[in-house]
Amino acid sequence: MTTFLTTPSGWPPVLLGRAGAIAADPWDLDAAVRAGAFEGLRAAVQHGPTGTIAEVGAAGLRGRGGAGFATGDKWRAAAGMDTDQRYVVANGYGADPATQIDAALLAADPWSVIEGLVIAAFAVGATEAILAVRGEDPALVARLEGAVAEAEAAGFVGDDVAGSGRRVTVTVRGLQGSYMLGEETVLIKALEGRRAAPDQRPPYPTERGLFDRPTVVNNIVTLAAVPWIMKNGAAAFAAIGAQDAPGTALVQLRGPAGAGIAEVPLGTPLRDIIALVGGAGSHGLKALLVGGPTGGFLPVDALDTPYTYAALRAAGAHVGSGSIVIADSRACIVDLARVLTRFSADQACGKSIPCRIGLRRLSEIGDRAAAGLPRAGDADLAADLTHDIAASALCDHERTATFALATVLRYFRSELDDHLLRSTCPAGVCTPIAVAGGAASRGASA
Amino acid sequence: MTTIPGMGLVRGMGLTLSRFFQPKATIMWPEQQADVAPKFRGRLQLLYDEYGTLKCETCFQCAQACPIECIDMGGMDTRGRFHVHWGPAETYGERREESAARRSGRPVADATFDRFDAIDLAAVDEVLDAHDYDPKALLPMLEQIQAAYGYLPVAALKQLSRKSGAWYAYVYGSATSYRHLRLEPPTVAAAAPAGEAHRAAEAGYLASLDAALSGKAGA
Ligand SMILES: Cc1cc2nc3c(=O)[nH]c(=O)nc-3n(C[C@H](O)[C@H](O)[C@H](O)COP(=O)(O)O)c2cc1C
Ligand code: SF4
Ligand code: FES
Repeated sequence: MTTFLTTPSGWPPVLLGRAGAIAADPWDLDAAVRAGAFEGLRAAVQHGPTGTIAEVGAAGLRGRGGAGFATGDKWRAAAGMDTDQRYVVANGYGADPATQIDAALLAADPWSVIEGLVIAAFAVGATEAILAVRGEDPALVARLEGAVAEAEAAGFVGDDVAGSGRRVTVTVRGLQGSYMLGEETVLIKALEGRRAAPDQRPPYPTERGLFDRPTVVNNIVTLAAVPWIMKNGAAAFAAIGAQDAPGTALVQLRGPAGAGIAEVPLGTPLRDIIALVGGAGSHGLKALLVGGPTGGFLPVDALDTPYTYAALRAAGAHVGSGSIVIADSRACIVDLARVLTRFSADQACGKSIPCRIGLRRLSEIGDRAAAGLPRAGDADLAADLTHDIAASALCDHERTATFALATVLRYFRSELDDHLLRSTCPAGVCTPIAVAGGAASRGASA
Repeated sequence: MTTIPGMGLVRGMGLTLSRFFQPKATIMWPEQQADVAPKFRGRLQLLYDEYGTLKCETCFQCAQACPIECIDMGGMDTRGRFHVHWGPAETYGERREESAARRSGRPVADATFDRFDAIDLAAVDEVLDAHDYDPKALLPMLEQIQAAYGYLPVAALKQLSRKSGAWYAYVYGSATSYRHLRLEPPTVAAAAPAGEAHRAAEAGYLASLDAALSGKAGA
């Protein structure tokens, strides 16, 4: 189990505020209620559905699932549809195999997720809510089912949610599939039992989602912030974090000197975030990989970039799965980018051509560079391809899968050129270069 | 009807000239986007790359999109799942070439023919009957068929497709989307356990990431 890191005292706890108080047994509903669980639901019932959506909108909450879409807008869109049924899906699939944020949150405070999900369903007028988690661990699914049953017995879920006269049933679904299952349209298909490949958006799931009904898909970390907002008010939430992205996020850090998950106010400079695990340690920082397998590499100069959706996107990375990996001077950026691009190409579902063939060609360029067997024009080809794949992509996976090589071209061009033109690996990682025939002559002609 | 010598030439050149000044149909995709019907899929032509290898990744998307099921696939898919046989083997023989194996990341030859063997389909029919032959219940049906046979034999998938009306490509694609469904019998020594393709991909990525971060070349 990944540990939570202690953060500076000035960083307000929103998502993990209750985790300490219920640490003895996070699954004990009575203890959680004593610590304040389901007070947000009561506040939401008092606000009424429209008032709740207005409050979440005013708080400025944005989705923590990666894209950072405004949660209030999403709920309003689904609530405004004329339909016989709506659904709310909590996305706790945690697609990135190297990130355990979702599992850690569910283990530390499952009630905040259940409460946020019920509030969301109450607000958009959905009578059915689904909590989708990884199914590999049947014990987790069983515990969550038990927790939902307890909450139902206590009147927080079920026919009459917290005395509001409204019905919200919560179903826990354990899903087992590929990386792409985390994407919202794929998740919806998996819940329907269909082939898991993304659909074109629009229509967004808020228009046509699960069983063709308006559906809100929210990350479980997004939902866990909702009870806090309802309890403490939108203004208090908007005061935390960055102006264009209020609140806190869970970030999983991995570096040579330490690792763990931390609750970080959005807008915190990357420098302060990596300081939580001791920075790059003794070897010196080379790059930060921000955003998981489809993340981008940021150079040392970018350490002052604030951790917000817009600033990271402008720098070439994204929030993604919420992971930040610290690469020190021992790592070869070209080799790392190759590993990431190959994973993305392997995971691509194959539905669209840029995804199926473009990513594979891109990963082959990375393979050639790392093997010391580049072809003329590989750097230009990579630049063209990253642009074209992003421009013609069907789903966000293909768009973001290009970030790794695009940021190598943008920030680490000289290291790439060392591989492509001079057949050397400055970090000394890519071994075949030493034996690559013609290395000397290629270097001379460059 | 008099024939004027050279008239054909003039007419031909005239056509060329008029076409020359007509607006061009070629656009710089994806910078420019053409206005096409949502159903448009283009003409299907399998292309070869500069190594002479087929670019088809055996993703089954074309077979699934084809309205009259005239496209079939055989061979290995990108995830190294090697039981993608459907349709007469001779037609799709090229997907079983060594180059196809290389592209799919699988170094071994294909040993899947026995999964085509006829099986007793009674259990499949029972499951189909219980679900009213409704293709919407695909996942529960696949799960129950796996419970009956221990895995999903090709013959059972075909029966499921035939009787429920769901495209075979769709049935196969759905079966491979889920980690807990398996297409190899558990008794085959070389058979991967359920979901192995997904799990191996994740483990490989994690190991390569570990290696690359600690300054060793990833696999
Ligand atoms: C390839 C891919 C994988 C994704 N994996 C996840 C995931 O594991 N968990 C998640 O919450 N969102 C994931 N997303 C984002 C979802 O599509 C969706 O945007 C999100 O669940 C919406 O919730 P939010 O508005 O609360 O962020 C993924 C997206 C893509 C393109
Ligand atoms: S199977 Fe996939 S890659 Fe092959 S031709 Fe059809 S759509 Fe293209
Ligand atoms: S991963 Fe298949 S369409 Fe994007």
